[in-house]
Amino acid sequence: CCSEMDLSLLQALERERILEVLRRDKQLRIIEEDRIRRMKCELQELRRRGAKNSARQYGERTCARCQRPLRKLWNSGAVCRGCSHRICSKCRVGVGTVGWKCTVCHAYRDVKIRSGDWFLEEKAKKFTAKTDKHETVGETLLKTYNVLSHISVVPPTPPPHLDYQFLNRSGDLKHSKPLNKSVENLMVSFTSHIRSKLSQNASSHELKCEHVNTDRPSLPNLFKKSKDSDQEGSSTGAEEETSFSSEYSGGWRGSTSSISTDCGLFESTSVTGELELRLAYNTKTSCLEITVGACRNLSYGDTKKRKCQPYIKLYVLPEKSGKMKTSVKKNTTDPVYNEVLKVKRQRFLPTRLQATVWHTGTLKRKVFLGEVLIPLDGWRFEDMDSQRFNWYPLCPKVKQKDSGLESTMSAYLILGFTHKFDQRSMVLVSV
Amino acid sequence: MTDGDYDYLIKLLALGDSGVGKTTFLYRYTDNKFNPKFITTVGIDFREKRVVYTASNANGTTTGKTFKVHLQLWDTAGQERFRSLTTAFFRDAMGFLLMFDLTSQQSFLNVRNWMSQLQANAYCENPDIVLVGNKADLADQREVQEKQAKELADKYGIPYFETSAATGVEVDKAVITLLDLVMKRMEQCVDKPPADTASGNGATKLGDAQPNEKKCAC
Repeated sequence: CCSEMDLSLLQALERERILEVLRRDKQLRIIEEDRIRRMKCELQELRRRGAKNSARQYGERTCARCQRPLRKLWNSGAVCRGCSHRICSKCRVGVGTVGWKCTVCHAYRDVKIRSGDWFLEEKAKKFTAKTDKHETVGETLLKTYNVLSHISVVPPTPPPHLDYQFLNRSGDLKHSKPLNKSVENLMVSFTSHIRSKLSQNASSHELKCEHVNTDRPSLPNLFKKSKDSDQEGSSTGAEEETSFSSEYSGGWRGSTSSISTDCGLFESTSVTGELELRLAYNTKTSCLEITVGACRNLSYGDTKKRKCQPYIKLYVLPEKSGKMKTSVKKNTTDPVYNEVLKVKRQRFLPTRLQATVWHTGTLKRKVFLGEVLIPLDGWRFEDMDSQRFNWYPLCPKVKQKDSGLESTMSAYLILGFTHKFDQRSMVLVSV
Repeated sequence: MTDGDYDYLIKLLALGDSGVGKTTFLYRYTDNKFNPKFITTVGIDFREKRVVYTASNANGTTTGKTFKVHLQLWDTAGQERFRSLTTAFFRDAMGFLLMFDLTSQQSFLNVRNWMSQLQANAYCENPDIVLVGNKADLADQREVQEKQAKELADKYGIPYFETSAATGVEVDKAVITLLDLVMKRMEQCVDKPPADTASGNGATKLGDAQPNEKKCAC
């Protein structure tokens, strides 16, 4: 479909106009994705609470939701249309004229409507060829043309703030992390061990698949876990179950851009995730104070070893003055920094802030993980909204005709040495 | 400034010939203002509006439940040269405002073409559509009679409104009617028995002009 909507036929100005619209759309989408994530977290929580626990013994006749005993004659419970569990009269919710569902099935239905999943499902029925059903046309176009554009992905107005509550809630997600990480490390060592023993064998293949699953953010795993431990499968019907989990994991990645070939100037395989920043201007010290909050859902700097040791580098463009770096965080794709970096700046100079995320590899090799460009002219520092933390989607490297080219060239050279017969060294030849 | 404090994000899209007043219609709806200047839309654009939606039952009585709806209203260029771009955006919209100009017979005749564009490019074969005849205030220049337009709308089984972005008449009503259709569609889609999905594909088609066939083919 992309060939049909070739923007190259349009005049440069028109193209820029359209891309601006698409960027605006992206801002809205980021908010929407966060909202959906939050909604699904809540649903997850509800399901977990309502699930029968395998560790405890249950009598035959208890309500699948509240676990209160059901009587023989009165309040004997009835079977929910959604999950086929026996439900007491208190755990039922009426839905229009079509009868009732249990609390969990009802919440599931509700989320399906409010998240727009109903729409994605319908669309997927008609456009089956589409690979990522979460991706909108606007998103596809924006990704294709981001690379060509010099203008930052973030419009000059402060981006809309996100609900701060979510950040607190996302703490819950992080609690489950150590477990996942350790499981993951175990898997890595195990798979490499197996692979050295058996070369390309069916079982190692299986393991690889499993490993791919652990690479996802923690929540889907958590969800899967509760599903497995949930002996009776007391959640909603099996059909719904699968669609929910697959959508969920997809949802995490929905917003992230992943242009690999177009921007593969550095060794990054894909650019995913977001960077959290807060900008403030201290009039007393005439310093621009940039608080680097955290990153989430970064791609692995070392895809083979599934390692990531990220740090953030800040520059004020165009003169690339005031280089600042955060500390390096070890083994995480969701690093938390909370570091304040200051740069002395004349307030109204037409400048842009460039924040790049890098992975520190062995032998000081750096891997580009994504960047954010924020125009500072026109930034309303007085505005309370602009003083909040904001999540910025990481973008692939913008091709720059000016100063950026040299660093690009040197990056090609590095690549040329590291990957002898890699495709990218072919690119080097053509450059 | 947008925040995530809403219950639904509903994406609607306005389409129709160049100059029928899609942009001014949306501007009237979101900002309640009128801009008489004609500035042709470059490709695509969108406006946003937060509305409070009151849910109603099938029989029309309100349930008293209110929801915050964030409307993303896509505006498309009517010009032919943007066609491939604009039609590509059809698939991401949940409902459509198909507009023509009451003072232009040609724009009305083209409604048929737009309908087939929708059928080909929208998320499903029979999406929710509202037919809008704009510029109702220019009574002395009118070329399309209400009866004609009403008949066409009935043929497709979609609501019809005669609006004026200049005076604001019926503008809100047209959008809210479409929103209502989409809200009902969402419920239908999640409440239908799963068995429907298998037989659903061969269901009614939009172009077949079967009167009042408006059930979800999904």
